[in-house]
Amino acid sequence: MTTGVRQILGYRRPDGRIGIRNHVAIVYTTNCAEVVARSLHRRFPVGTQLFGYPEGCSYQDAPAAKIVAMAQHSSYAGVLVVGLGCEGADASDLAERIGAFGQTVEAVTIQFEGGDLKTIEKGSRILADLLQHASVVPREPMPVSDLIVGSECGGSDATSGLVSNPLVGLVADRLIDEGGTYMHAEPHELMGCGGVLAARAVDDAVAQDVRAAIEEAERESFESGVFHIGFGNIEGGLTTIEEKSYGCLAKSGSRPLQGVLRAYGPPPGRGYYLQIAPPGSTTYFGDSEDISQFAACGAHLAFFTTGCGATTGGLLPVIKVMANPHRMELIRDNVDFDATPITRGERTLEEMRDELYEEMIAVAAGKLTRSEILRHFEA
Amino acid sequence: MTSKGEKTAILLHPDDNVVTLLRDRSKGDSVEASLGDRSESLRLVEDVRFGHKVAVRRIPEGKDVIKYGMPIGQALEEIEPGMWVHVHNCRSERYGFRQEQYGIHA
Repeated sequence: MTTGVRQILGYRRPDGRIGIRNHVAIVYTTNCAEVVARSLHRRFPVGTQLFGYPEGCSYQDAPAAKIVAMAQHSSYAGVLVVGLGCEGADASDLAERIGAFGQTVEAVTIQFEGGDLKTIEKGSRILADLLQHASVVPREPMPVSDLIVGSECGGSDATSGLVSNPLVGLVADRLIDEGGTYMHAEPHELMGCGGVLAARAVDDAVAQDVRAAIEEAERESFESGVFHIGFGNIEGGLTTIEEKSYGCLAKSGSRPLQGVLRAYGPPPGRGYYLQIAPPGSTTYFGDSEDISQFAACGAHLAFFTTGCGATTGGLLPVIKVMANPHRMELIRDNVDFDATPITRGERTLEEMRDELYEEMIAVAAGKLTRSEILRHFEA
Repeated sequence: MTSKGEKTAILLHPDDNVVTLLRDRSKGDSVEASLGDRSESLRLVEDVRFGHKVAVRRIPEGKDVIKYGMPIGQALEEIEPGMWVHVHNCRSERYGFRQEQYGIHA
């Protein structure tokens, strides 16, 4: 163990937060502006990330709030908002909201500028300035205890619940013990875990809140009939719903539950949180949507456990953890952390915990993950 | 063949009364797992496959089967160490209740 508070070098933002990456965001406010936004992204592929509000005319608060929170992320030195002009989520309004905490933000509106080509020309000049601005952002040390880390599982198999998720859970415990903050989502994969999570809650209000969140997800699943413990699960050795869910819950570690995050912005305190996407906030489908939700809650990076070999990433640096030896051989290019020695019985979870923790610190300090190198910035 | 010191099963929590096999094993094979100070070594009384559970402690009828430190269901009959633990001798009361309430079938 090292003594003193470990620090990594990050990027200082106007509101005092430190980012671990230094991108410029290109944000479209409607699908009608997506083509222009994509053109700008193609012109400046290095140092920019693209996401947006995939609706047409109507304005809806939940996805708009999510897009605003994502654009305020500590990884962005600047933001360009691209709008059409007649949509509900007005580009200038969104830009104003994004800039509320001092974020450098500009907006271009296609109908006001005079069509695609003029908007691309103006947007290009703005992006050139924003990229130059990003390049001189002061570097500043950030204690590892300020890290906010998300956790996702996708393409799960038997090794996810047995090895990858428990391993990430041990890392979560260590991160939290050192003052860090940790979150995961997916209440629909926590069937039967309401009581267990309530027992871990810091107080009665949080206990009630998490119980309600899981019960809501259970009700939705049972009513839609989507949830069941299938033949493949039982063949694979899973006996009950609880067992299957605990495999997902294993990534939560064992520390007290501080709260349920139902709104965007950084968590109100440190420690372990469950994140619930606000109703109607989904702007993308798949595991990367959860990564975006974590980003909107201030997470710096995320773990992503997979058994089959999910290749998707997201806007955050994603540390892909794999414990299936056969799939590891097939899909090694997409994987950051090889946990197969545990599955093969050569190493224990505890032995590999600190290696994964160190990998997390390295990524926070700038080491590129496979999803970043392969540009899996799905959003 | 299992080399010495190689773990054939995984113990996920100190309170667990089952371990999960990391490879297919046969009746009579020895199974070893450890976590922290706790170390388990036992002999299988039946064939058990990768990913499936084996009792490491006696679990009386109606008592909880514990994995991840949490109850995953109750023993339908007395389960002895070395026995395979699965749907034939373990059931979730919660699931039974839910199944009836919502009319969902496994």
